[in-house]
Amino acid sequence: MTTLTISLKRPSKVYHEGEVIAGVVVVKSNSDVRHEGLVLVMEGSVNLQISSKNAGIFDAFSNSIKPITLVNTSMEIVPAGKIPVGVTEIPFEMPLRGRPSSAGPGLLETYHGVFVNVMYTIQCSMKRSFLNKPLNAVCQFFVQYKHQDPGPLKPVRCEITPASIRASGAPSRASMPNFQLYAEIDTTVCALDKPITGKIRVDDCSVQIKSIELQLVRVETCGSTEGYSRDATEIQIIQVGEGDVCRSRDVPLYMVLPRLFTCPTTTTTNFKIEFELNISVIFEDDYLVTENFPILLLRCR
Amino acid sequence: MPTSYPWTSAKKCRRKNNVASLEVSTHPLKMDNMRITPSLNKALMESLQNWSMPFEELDPLLRFEKMNLAEESLPLDICEDEKENYLKVWNCKKTSILNKYTTGEKLTIISSFLPGGEKISTFSALIRQVSNLNEKVKHRLEQLDDFDEASVRKTMGLSQQEFVTKVHMLDEEIKKAWDSEQRVNAFKIAIQCSKLLSDISVMQFYPSKFILISDVLDNFGSLVFDRLKNKSFGNKNIKFQYIDPNTVLEIAKETCQNWLFKMASIRELLPRLYMEIALLQCNVFISREEMKPTINRLTKMIRGMGNPLVAIYIRVYLCNTSSKLFSKESEPYYKDNLSEFINEYQQIFHPTMLKKYGAQLLTADQYLNLYVPAVDWLLFGTLNWNHDKLNLLEELLKKCNEIENSELLLCCIISAFDSSSVIQKSSAILDIIRKNADGMVMMHQALSSLGEHLCHAESYRQVSAEVLSQTWWKLASGMKSTANFLQVLEPWIQFACLQLSSQHINVILRGTIRYLIKSGHPPDNYSAQIQNVIKRILKHIPDVEELFLMDAFMPLVELVQTSAARTSMARTVLTVFFERNKSERIDDPIVIASLMRLCRIVHDSINAVSVEDESKWSGELIVRCIQVARHEDLDTQLNFYVECRAAFLKLDAVLVALVHAVNTLSTRGAASRGRWLQRACAAYCYITVPSLQCVLSRATLYLLSGQVALLNNCIGQAEANFKALVGVIPNIPQYVQEDGQKKPTHDRVAGLISNFLSTLLVLPDNVDSNSKAYILSGFIKTLERVEWRKTDALYYTTLLRVLDLLCEMTQEQYAYHIDSVISNDELYGAEEEFVKCLENYATNVCQELLVVLKALSDAKETKKQYSLSLELFWRIIKRGDLQQSSMSGLASNLWMLSQKLQDSNAKYAKSILAVLQADPAGRQLLEKLKVQ
Repeated sequence: MTTLTISLKRPSKVYHEGEVIAGVVVVKSNSDVRHEGLVLVMEGSVNLQISSKNAGIFDAFSNSIKPITLVNTSMEIVPAGKIPVGVTEIPFEMPLRGRPSSAGPGLLETYHGVFVNVMYTIQCSMKRSFLNKPLNAVCQFFVQYKHQDPGPLKPVRCEITPASIRASGAPSRASMPNFQLYAEIDTTVCALDKPITGKIRVDDCSVQIKSIELQLVRVETCGSTEGYSRDATEIQIIQVGEGDVCRSRDVPLYMVLPRLFTCPTTTTTNFKIEFELNISVIFEDDYLVTENFPILLLRCR
Repeated sequence: MPTSYPWTSAKKCRRKNNVASLEVSTHPLKMDNMRITPSLNKALMESLQNWSMPFEELDPLLRFEKMNLAEESLPLDICEDEKENYLKVWNCKKTSILNKYTTGEKLTIISSFLPGGEKISTFSALIRQVSNLNEKVKHRLEQLDDFDEASVRKTMGLSQQEFVTKVHMLDEEIKKAWDSEQRVNAFKIAIQCSKLLSDISVMQFYPSKFILISDVLDNFGSLVFDRLKNKSFGNKNIKFQYIDPNTVLEIAKETCQNWLFKMASIRELLPRLYMEIALLQCNVFISREEMKPTINRLTKMIRGMGNPLVAIYIRVYLCNTSSKLFSKESEPYYKDNLSEFINEYQQIFHPTMLKKYGAQLLTADQYLNLYVPAVDWLLFGTLNWNHDKLNLLEELLKKCNEIENSELLLCCIISAFDSSSVIQKSSAILDIIRKNADGMVMMHQALSSLGEHLCHAESYRQVSAEVLSQTWWKLASGMKSTANFLQVLEPWIQFACLQLSSQHINVILRGTIRYLIKSGHPPDNYSAQIQNVIKRILKHIPDVEELFLMDAFMPLVELVQTSAARTSMARTVLTVFFERNKSERIDDPIVIASLMRLCRIVHDSINAVSVEDESKWSGELIVRCIQVARHEDLDTQLNFYVECRAAFLKLDAVLVALVHAVNTLSTRGAASRGRWLQRACAAYCYITVPSLQCVLSRATLYLLSGQVALLNNCIGQAEANFKALVGVIPNIPQYVQEDGQKKPTHDRVAGLISNFLSTLLVLPDNVDSNSKAYILSGFIKTLERVEWRKTDALYYTTLLRVLDLLCEMTQEQYAYHIDSVISNDELYGAEEEFVKCLENYATNVCQELLVVLKALSDAKETKKQYSLSLELFWRIIKRGDLQQSSMSGLASNLWMLSQKLQDSNAKYAKSILAVLQADPAGRQLLEKLKVQ
């Protein structure tokens, strides 16, 4: 029995472009292993998918678009030979350097979305003699941009009242309860490593409030000149107020951005990844008032 | 066996010279009026008790009570001693909360990790909707659902105890999951636990629920923390204070980050807050500086909780956790959270909350009380932080004045602050209470805790004390609930006792009676509370006796009507009274009369079904009362005792005490007036003793009374008592019930008889009767009737003693006398007829002893036989006339017998021989013995 695992030196597995990925391939075996060489492949690609909602328009195309390769290097770390019984650690180092593609000149940050996925892996395979299947091991690693200087703060404030609402087919304004809300987001240019902060205040509300929530939404656009699909999906929702909160008190808004599901706001020729923030107030009768804020995510200090 | 050995006593006037003897300073009959010094005695008794304490098993109930007492007194001590140690104080508080906030309502628990319960997963709900599904299919689907661990189950109708068990089960479940590497599961259970805190359907249990669940969360937090610590530092035991984020390994940091990200993505606010607080300590692995801002942020985020009850308990949890981490430095957070609470104060009176507690049938007062422990705790920390307490108090009182419904805050402020500050501001506080008096539901709490503070006032200026108590009285007398009124009365009456004159106290007591009568409820419903009030008065009034002189006190005590309540009231009053009053005598007739009245109530409550302990306690109280009551005039005193006897017939202990008291009285009286008093006393005893239940104590008292009578030269009465004693002896049982144990009377009877016999020596014979040594002969006759076994040591030792006495009585001059009493030696002058008679008795006794010797040999009791034969031998050679051949023959026979038996312990025989060697007459005898 022989097993193959890859372990990276960095516990966080986060690398920046231009860095060297170092680690070891661990071969565990209870007998000597004869092999035809150990090969390491580093791969990074963007996978795009068209949402089924829009698929009709793109009937001509297949549902998924061909992945865009960002990086693809391979190297042999051990030539054909024999590995002794026991645990053998084979160290390796691989420079992380992207190649220019349609997505841009370099690498993109790791991102897991619904229609767009940016993923990086290191794959190790051990070719073996004719009768044996090759052994494989995969390890994902994460790419992040280098930290930029922080952008200028762009605070937004808004007041939400029945008058400010764009009634979207909802009950007419007359039946709307009387309310006066004030919300503030400290900056719409947000660093990924820092929480989004702000505050909300209920100055007046004639009915009881059930919940106040903060919703993080991704807006993914895929396609090309032929056409595109644009979909907004929820990443996470966080409650900031439960029950009928005290009037005229600032309730802080606070959201830690999840890793992997967020990345810097990205625009390429083939796809776009954008983020938005929704503040919603739900009244006792499940009537919902939402205010939307587009935000710009940056990898900065 | 020899047929008969006629006894002849030797006349031994010279005995004193021959035998080595000790000069004694006292003997049982020494005429000496000993002045008893009770204070010394008491100290001795106490020290004796202290010594014996470790040997006495405390009965379990009492032990519990003591533990409780200790616990109750604990928090206060700690507050003063180690203010920093929040954990300890909190633990004390925890128990009190768990004890206070309980419920009989049914509780609900929702969790996916507990067996049983109704599933509320969406899936089974779906199945239920599709009702036309085949039963079998349905069952299978449900089984499938069972495998799904995330199916949430709702268990309803749990009793409080069951709920507690379930929470403990969850705690176990977390540990189990954690140990089996299912950390995410553990995390999920913890989240579910914290979600339970959003349920306020049974409000009065909420504080206790909070305690239970916060413990579970704490455990979870420390599991995570320990693991991270382990990852970074291995098994090194490193304290939180010494963890430096810079030395933490990357891998631990990474894991910690993961935990924090996971926590931050919890959707609901309440579990997110609780989990973040529980995991707060883990932040130290990433950055120590970030921790304090985090606490501040959390403090603000709690504002998002609309429910005030839920919110304040999160604040408590936050403060607790931060004080666990930063101890003294955490105090500003207490202050911040308190001010947050005050800013959101009106949420408590939000209409939906009012509706909710109304629906749960809670009163406003009960509802507000749910907040008390939390606010107390926040105040506790705040107070430790702030050094200028007076200023803070002023500030807070100003707030109370400004906001509506300030009663909860006010209540908590009063109880939280130290006495000296509160006392300084007492009039201002009373003012606030007075202003808001109309709608206040917690007025009694505010007033009573204010009262408690005032009780600590060192020396209050008289005038303002009066003003205060007047204002208070106006407020209190307007209260609607009698229970609340009495609760308030308790500390204030103490204050009055400490600070005001007895007239004032009397006025308050009168007012209390008026209030209780006017309230329309029978006072019996509140007897426990009234008792507490009375206890307070008794404990704190400077002069207890003065209390009985107030015209309102006894009526208040007797306000309750049912006999049980009356009895316990009377008992309490007496107990506390005697605790306070240590003086040996009470002279005031009014006080005595009141005490007697209470004693009668206590006594009358005793009936056939009373528990033994109860009667014992009652007996002790009454006895104490009898002991201290003193009348100037001895006649009145005796009359008092007569009255007592009539009143307390049911209690043996009291009768015993009475007999002792009367005997004491008898010795106290002067010899003048023809010994009228002494005779009356002796008669009293003679009449009283037979009504005792216990034969043994009857016998003891007969003896004592006889001795006292003899001492007072009332021969007739003494004789009557002794005669009665002789009559009683056969009836003494072998065992008596004492303290719930059977105890043998053997040794005591032996002592009693010895004592009796030595008294008989000085008792002059009744000249009117025709038999000599009247009582003694009666006793000897009685001995024949007594159903003792012949082999019983008690029997033959008694016979030996009788023999001793008989010999001693033949002497021309007795060894001791009572000064005023003419004993038989003077009476008969060793007259021949008298001596003959005595020797006759001696012969019989000796004969009987020989029979006993025979019986002993039959019963193979060699040891006893040996010692008895030696004892008898010793008696013969010391007291018998050895010139008589029968005596010497008997002596040598006995010696032979003892030599034959030759017990291993020959010490006695050896010492007898040694004495004989020293004595010339003895040497003669020895030779004689050897010859034979």
